Amino acid sequence: MADVTLTNVNKIYGEGPSAVHAVQDLNLKIDDGEFVALLGPSGCGKTSTLRMIVGLESISSGSVHFDDRNVSALEPQDRNVAMAFETYALYPNFTVEQNLAFPLEVRGFSADEQKKRAQNVAELLRITDLLDAYPPALSGGQQQRVSLGRALIREPDVFILDEVMSHLDAHLKFQMLFDLKRLHRELGRTMIYVTHDQVEALALSDRVAVMSNARLQQVGDRNTLYNAPANVFVADFIGEPPTNFFQAQAVESDGDLRLAVDDAKFTLHLSEKTRAAVKAHGGARFIAGIRPQNLTPATASDATSGQTTATLSAKVSINEYLGERSILTAHRGPVSFRALAPPETRSAPDEIVELAYDPANVMVFDPETEDLVH
Amino acid sequence: MAVTTANSEAQLQQTSTVADRWRAVRYLFLAFMALWLLFTLFPLYFMVITAFKSAAETNLTVPTFWPNEWFPQNFAGVFAEATNFNALVDSFIIATANTALALFLGSLAGYAFARFPKQAGGENLAFWILSNRMFPPVAILVPMFFLFDNTPWGTDSHLSLIILYLVFNLPLATWLMMVFFRDAPREIEEAAYLDGWTPMKAFVRVTLPLVLPGMISVAMLCWIFAWNEYLFANLFVGTDVRTYTIVIPTFTHGSQTLWNLQMAFSLIAMIPPVTMFILLRRYMVRGLSLGVVKG
Repeated sequence: MADVTLTNVNKIYGEGPSAVHAVQDLNLKIDDGEFVALLGPSGCGKTSTLRMIVGLESISSGSVHFDDRNVSALEPQDRNVAMAFETYALYPNFTVEQNLAFPLEVRGFSADEQKKRAQNVAELLRITDLLDAYPPALSGGQQQRVSLGRALIREPDVFILDEVMSHLDAHLKFQMLFDLKRLHRELGRTMIYVTHDQVEALALSDRVAVMSNARLQQVGDRNTLYNAPANVFVADFIGEPPTNFFQAQAVESDGDLRLAVDDAKFTLHLSEKTRAAVKAHGGARFIAGIRPQNLTPATASDATSGQTTATLSAKVSINEYLGERSILTAHRGPVSFRALAPPETRSAPDEIVELAYDPANVMVFDPETEDLVH
Repeated sequence: MAVTTANSEAQLQQTSTVADRWRAVRYLFLAFMALWLLFTLFPLYFMVITAFKSAAETNLTVPTFWPNEWFPQNFAGVFAEATNFNALVDSFIIATANTALALFLGSLAGYAFARFPKQAGGENLAFWILSNRMFPPVAILVPMFFLFDNTPWGTDSHLSLIILYLVFNLPLATWLMMVFFRDAPREIEEAAYLDGWTPMKAFVRVTLPLVLPGMISVAMLCWIFAWNEYLFANLFVGTDVRTYTIVIPTFTHGSQTLWNLQMAFSLIAMIPPVTMFILLRRYMVRGLSLGVVKG
């Protein structure tokens, strides 16, 4: 086991004008035994990052350390990393047992030891009855287990999972999430999980590293990402349904600073802290964001609790009933946004609803840099 | 009630005409296959019966389609001259060595083109290598003779034909192996690297077994070409080394062609490739369809 440190890592494919900067100035430290997810949309550089960690891709500049060992220039077979592939990458002409033992064979383990360890790993992953089968005869979920087993059978410094669930159906995915979490707890290995699915990332990992456009946007646990996203991208990418964003102008009347949403004739209230941050930041234009979860139809109890909530009225355009909740798409003038409502909400289109929010939940971003102001 | 019956009868009528049409198509297909079989198998049949005829019977103006008298001694007759058996050995040495060389070089080159297309010179170079197989062999017959005549081993040697046949077999092997390697998923090799195997060992242990069916079919194609080659063999060798293909035309008696001996020897020469084909049929079909089906 080891911690992993990426220092100013860059990856540039090609040369000259057609060069693609796939990973830019990436700095990330993953602690020993930590489970970190690398999350981002496709093409954001997460797979390049991972391939540089394992050594399948050369590092254009910067360095990768496992503990104090600089592995940047080492071949993959010398790094002691294990990886489970998106496509499983099992050896089709070996049995499951031979697949599991393959990393041991090259390390000179005796045949008996290979057999014993394959048996142990198979028990851990509940695939003992498949040991004599050939991979093409297995289902996707079984193949995935074998590929995890092959990675787990030796003691790698770092254990990497590349989009391992993207080909599994929802039910199997749920089972695998549970199994991975259990494995991580039992083995305590350093694990890096690469995915484009925020649900997987948030469910599994201690920390999530969000990447976009070749850059690391933010690293943090789920609460940090959810409540204090570093910028507009993270606020937009994390959370379902996505955050509502408004182009807004800061207006001050009677000492109360609010954000007037463009073209919509309504203002958003801000908390004390946010007001101070906005004032300190300066400037008149901002991007305001509020999560649909924090925007709900006002009830009588909101009104009595007083101070903390603010309301805004809007006209419903769509009411999507999703079983355990409803998503209201409402608009005010040309500006439309989503709010989360209890499932029993009966709001019909063109009905006027009163939506309540806590001013503390209004996020404010700089319109130029798109970074969080508060 | 009556109406319904009429309707269902009409339907029955219709379905039966459709069935009739399909039956007709089927018969047409079978008839075509029979014709095609006749066309391909008749020469083979005639070769086999000729091998068992007496010399006199092969020269009848009206040919017989079943031997009047069986002459199995033809098969002993072809080996009356002991060196004739050596011709089969020479052919075997040349075909086998050439195939081994073509496979070895072709696999490495094909792997390079499949995995490192840029560094290996790109699609154009790969295609240029394939195009080497497209010119008419006669065009280089004479130049090649003089070229090989200047080598230390000369033209009349195993080595000359082993190397010369690479001109035809290496492009084939390179190109086909390239296609097979492209189809072998790269991740499997990467998985092997991460499992601790060096690229060369991973290539041998993981990638080669994956392309083995393809490799076997390439080997068959190369081997059969080298085994059956006549044009260059006829010009290059003949004294120290003789391939079976240049021995067959020597079965003559004065101005008379000894068809029975020629066919008997041909039949013997067919045994190795046919045996191999039967034994490796499974791989052959898998290998040849590998690149085609997956595209």
